[in-house]
Amino acid sequence: TAGNKIFHFGACRVSMSTTEIRAGFTAIKANIQARDPIRTLSILSYPHSLHKVQSSDRCCITHHLFNFYVDKVFKHCKTEDSFVNRKISSIANSFLSMKRKLGQCHEQNQCTCGQESTEKYKQILANYEGLNVTSAAMKSLGELDILLDWME
Amino acid sequence: SGELYCSLLNPRNVRFESINMKNVLHWSAPEGTGNGVLYKVKYSVYGVGKWIRKPECRNINRTWCDLSSETSDYEEQYYASVKAFLNGMFSDWVETSRFNPLTDTKIDPPLVSVSSTDKSISIVLTAPEKWKRSPEEESVSLLQVYPGLQYNVSVLNKKTKKRWFFSISNHTLVVPWLEPGTAYCVSAQIHVSTPLLDSGFSKEHCIATLKDK
Amino acid sequence: EDALLPAPQNISILSTNMKHFLTWSPVIVQGETVRYSVEFQGEYERVYANESWIPSSECCLITATECNITEDISATVAYALRVRAELGASRSQWGTLQGFFNRITTSLTPPVLKVIADGYHLLVELEDMGPAFQFRVLYWKKGQERRMQVKVVKEVSSVAHLDTMEAGADYCVKAQTYVEAINRSSSFSQTQCVRAQGDTSMWL
Repeated sequence: TAGNKIFHFGACRVSMSTTEIRAGFTAIKANIQARDPIRTLSILSYPHSLHKVQSSDRCCITHHLFNFYVDKVFKHCKTEDSFVNRKISSIANSFLSMKRKLGQCHEQNQCTCGQESTEKYKQILANYEGLNVTSAAMKSLGELDILLDWME
Repeated sequence: SGELYCSLLNPRNVRFESINMKNVLHWSAPEGTGNGVLYKVKYSVYGVGKWIRKPECRNINRTWCDLSSETSDYEEQYYASVKAFLNGMFSDWVETSRFNPLTDTKIDPPLVSVSSTDKSISIVLTAPEKWKRSPEEESVSLLQVYPGLQYNVSVLNKKTKKRWFFSISNHTLVVPWLEPGTAYCVSAQIHVSTPLLDSGFSKEHCIATLKDK
Repeated sequence: EDALLPAPQNISILSTNMKHFLTWSPVIVQGETVRYSVEFQGEYERVYANESWIPSSECCLITATECNITEDISATVAYALRVRAELGASRSQWGTLQGFFNRITTSLTPPVLKVIADGYHLLVELEDMGPAFQFRVLYWKKGQERRMQVKVVKEVSSVAHLDTMEAGADYCVKAQTYVEAINRSSSFSQTQCVRAQGDTSMWL
């Protein structure tokens, strides 16, 4: 195709665009991150960065993280600012679209879960559940660029 | 902010200014304070527990502090903080917003070098290098940091005033079949699509094709 | 809500080149100015957020019977849309678009382009259609259709250089748009041909 980006997650190849998610996140990054006062904990990067995940486990971790954001995070990120809410809706719906594309790989068994990705996802959930749900959701949303930087 | 008589007003506009991942903390002096205010600086890696003092920026009277070395891992994100003190009074710690070196840096235009024959011009582009601690340290081109990096090149025919536009991935461009004895001006810009980062255009480099033999 | 104020009817979508408009028939109240407000609901809101609705960014208490929802439709999923009439304190029931709208169905028109021969250089000028658009430009030497070349142009701020031409030869160009967000392309534009400077003997 002329320009859609092909993402390689281990054996899985998915054609999708993160441009709009990036733009949406950049527009609200300062607002969202300012609502997260906890500097000493990261949901996605603690204790180990996503960059430490092996290539073979990339698909599984990404699949888990798309579900994590869609099922757990976005719904607890409502703010008093309608502009921010609209951008969050835009990001959430784009995630739904990406989740569906990656789901196809999962169904074709190209998204196998090794021990490392299972452990990593457990750690992310533990980090998330270690905070009250609104703080955890807002912190996770504020870390979206960590996920995008790693994906790209 | 603190009451006037026993604590100092806070430093203002505390932020990172980053170019090619040379990450420098900048701030403005507390309002209404003249000379004599001193500052100290600390930084932290996001998600890691502790603040780390920057010794070279302790008791300084300038309003910037180079934290490039401390923030050179662009897979991490950072906070920095500044405190002002004067005559025994001191301000609060004032923090930056979260700094992501990969997305929050600005990129310089590429270096452009041009040569010509009678009917063509050759353009060689060099992407800027990522900041490094010392000249001896191995250079890292921003091309390695942003693999999708492209160049937008503009070529202006000074006689006809027509401007052509090239979008290329590799760093050399030959424009053949030009008019002999004509001046052409070239400038170039770096374009990164994810994350979205564009440099400005370089200044124009003009060169004339040789006169017809 | 107020039973006196009927809900807007004939609600439909006009979507061309990733510009999306919701339109409806006016609600007429003699001697009064009726206003309208629009809301949207993405698939995420329907499935994961208790079917919540979000006020449109552009259309709150407007008098027009058309709303530019391009900014609101910002993902490639099925959106529900609704509009209601408001007059002073009274509000009508919501009028809801029948079915959903997914921007993947937008109609893509071929790009407007101008092909230029400047000496031995083949250039193209493309109409700026917004950041969502890229252009796939095909060009070939007349008579050599099988050696067609492709160039993807993303920046349309000025004249894009395609290639150099053989003296005196005819070259033809056509283009289509490509929208990465929906992974779709338009049909091709008309083919335009130009002639390079000089005569063909220059190459013997």
